[in-house]
Amino acid sequence: MIAEEDLVHQLKQPDTREKAFAVLVNTHKERLYWHIRRIVMDHDDADDVLQNTFIKVYRNIEGFKGDSKLYSWMYRIATNESITFIKQRSKKMGVSDEELKNRMIKNLEADVYFEGDEIQIKLQKALSTLPDKQKLVFNMKYYQEMKYEEISEVLETSVGALKTSYHLAVKKIEAYLKED
Amino acid sequence: MGNNKKQNFKTPEGYFENFHERLMQKINAEEDTKTLSFLPKSDGFKVPKSYFEGVQERVAAQLQERKTKVIPLHPYRKYKYAIASVAAIFLLFLGLNLRTEAPVAFEDLASAEIDAYLEQTELNLSSYELAEIVSLEGTELNDVMDIPLESENILEYLDENIEDIEELNLNFEDYE
Repeated sequence: MIAEEDLVHQLKQPDTREKAFAVLVNTHKERLYWHIRRIVMDHDDADDVLQNTFIKVYRNIEGFKGDSKLYSWMYRIATNESITFIKQRSKKMGVSDEELKNRMIKNLEADVYFEGDEIQIKLQKALSTLPDKQKLVFNMKYYQEMKYEEISEVLETSVGALKTSYHLAVKKIEAYLKED
Repeated sequence: MGNNKKQNFKTPEGYFENFHERLMQKINAEEDTKTLSFLPKSDGFKVPKSYFEGVQERVAAQLQERKTKVIPLHPYRKYKYAIASVAAIFLLFLGLNLRTEAPVAFEDLASAEIDAYLEQTELNLSSYELAEIVSLEGTELNDVMDIPLESENILEYLDENIEDIEELNLNFEDYE
């Protein structure tokens, strides 16, 4: 596997950019997809946002200074793109973000790419009650199995604060799922 | 510390030597893989078969397609007065030369035409694109906020949005 520094160097050189970019996409597509999918929920929307994310990465790679790791920079772009996508859609539909999230959960019931039953739907409802950041932290930690240090780089939040967010999220989800 | 002569139990050889290391490994492993019994193992999301195989080609095709398009970037707010000024001077010049009778009001153009254009046109700029065209040095935070950023507003926001405001260790006496 190619070292990150070498890959970034190749991405910045016009003659090696295309090839390096293909490597970058193939290396990170799955992890980024699942990150995006858990925010926008619908597969087709996740596909659009994933493509936009990679296009932003391609266009902005010249400005990547290497202060953070490449994957955490891409995760940040993916997070921003996903949140922007939801805000634009709620604006277009003339509904609040909350209302849009409720509709997104309702759509899951008919989604062919969602094989959840009652408990999975209830989990999504529980997640929708959390502040955005707590939801992000919970999904990244529990379902994407990221380490706190990795999440810390992506969300630019201290590990201590992330642990608190995760703890609060788990408590709220547990309480919600145990409600009748 | 000597051996306890009355101790009849034995431990495997070398048991205590790496105890701390093994304990930390176990703690870290538990922290990373700890499953919560009240949660379903999967959250239910799945993807179409072979979806990931075609991602790279689709992204490359999108890039190729977008390379041929010119995407205009409309500087937001900061440049609207400059645009308004140029437009007004141009119209004024035309008006003077053609000797038309309809007077051109600079203020009307600036506040109505330009504002309407900015409001009705879907600028669709992401934070990254905005960051490219608006320099941070020349932007004051209060310029882009509807409500002035004052201590009172910040405290009010924190009170409504933070779980336990006291955890922030704020010195409330400063704000009383």
